[in-house]
Amino acid sequence: MFKELDPLLHSELRLAIMSIVITVAEADFLSIKEQTRATAGNLSVQIEKLKEAGYIEVQKGFLGKRTRTVCKITLRGAEAFKNYVEALKSYLNLE
Amino acid sequence: MEERKMNGNESLELISQMIKNTQSRIERHNGMPFMVWGYTTVIVSLAVWFMLKSSSNYNWNYLWFLIPAIGYPTMMVLLKKQSNGMKTMMDKFIGYVWLSIGIAAFIVSVSTFIYWQTPVLFIVLLLIGSGTLITALLIQYKLLIFMGLASYASAILCLIIRDVNVILVFAATFLVMMVIPGHILYAKNRRNHV
Repeated sequence: MFKELDPLLHSELRLAIMSIVITVAEADFLSIKEQTRATAGNLSVQIEKLKEAGYIEVQKGFLGKRTRTVCKITLRGAEAFKNYVEALKSYLNLE
Repeated sequence: MEERKMNGNESLELISQMIKNTQSRIERHNGMPFMVWGYTTVIVSLAVWFMLKSSSNYNWNYLWFLIPAIGYPTMMVLLKKQSNGMKTMMDKFIGYVWLSIGIAAFIVSVSTFIYWQTPVLFIVLLLIGSGTLITALLIQYKLLIFMGLASYASAILCLIIRDVNVILVFAATFLVMMVIPGHILYAKNRRNHV
């Protein structure tokens, strides 16, 4: 029996964002943008979707005079990511 | 990158690629903070020692406050410059440890206004030595582990020596515990990045 893939994570950019924030304690918007090579607009939309789902926490602050948006994974996000990888494994017969 | 649906293999490939890229971007501990605090402390200590030795005016002890006054702004500039927008849990933990130690060391220094016989150098060396040891154990840097442990012996020496020359022991400990390992760590880090 295949496990269901989380539709929120089964999208290229959102999965990339989650893969980054699960690796570090926090990552700012610019570093995620550089790494995913996404446009700022698209990235903002996808971050907002992940935030609404409670998968990531977004904090806005300042670094000197510049605004800085920092993303952190939540426990719920980490759990969803783990389940997604487990589901993928079952699809690919890696279990 | 788009909001595109992928097949299972593409998803796994993307996850491993992103994790690999992120790990390669994580800033390794490059020894710079050790050099900043080490050099600042050694130079200020020697200045205090020299002034006390030559004038015996205890007001020169106020020069000690140059350490945080120079160290903190330098660290702020450095951290801002070196930031790559990512922080690991270990970075955060090490940061919190040093923040707590910095506050405690400052309180110990200020406590001399209330009780002038506080063995400041002894307590500060114990605190900084503990911070160094914790950092060394976390980043698994053997030389620094040894230096952190050795600083405890120096702290005891600071309690035994009763004259102004105790400052020289303090300065020498910082030179050996922070400046030298800081340079070695920095050189190692640069070699790995070439």
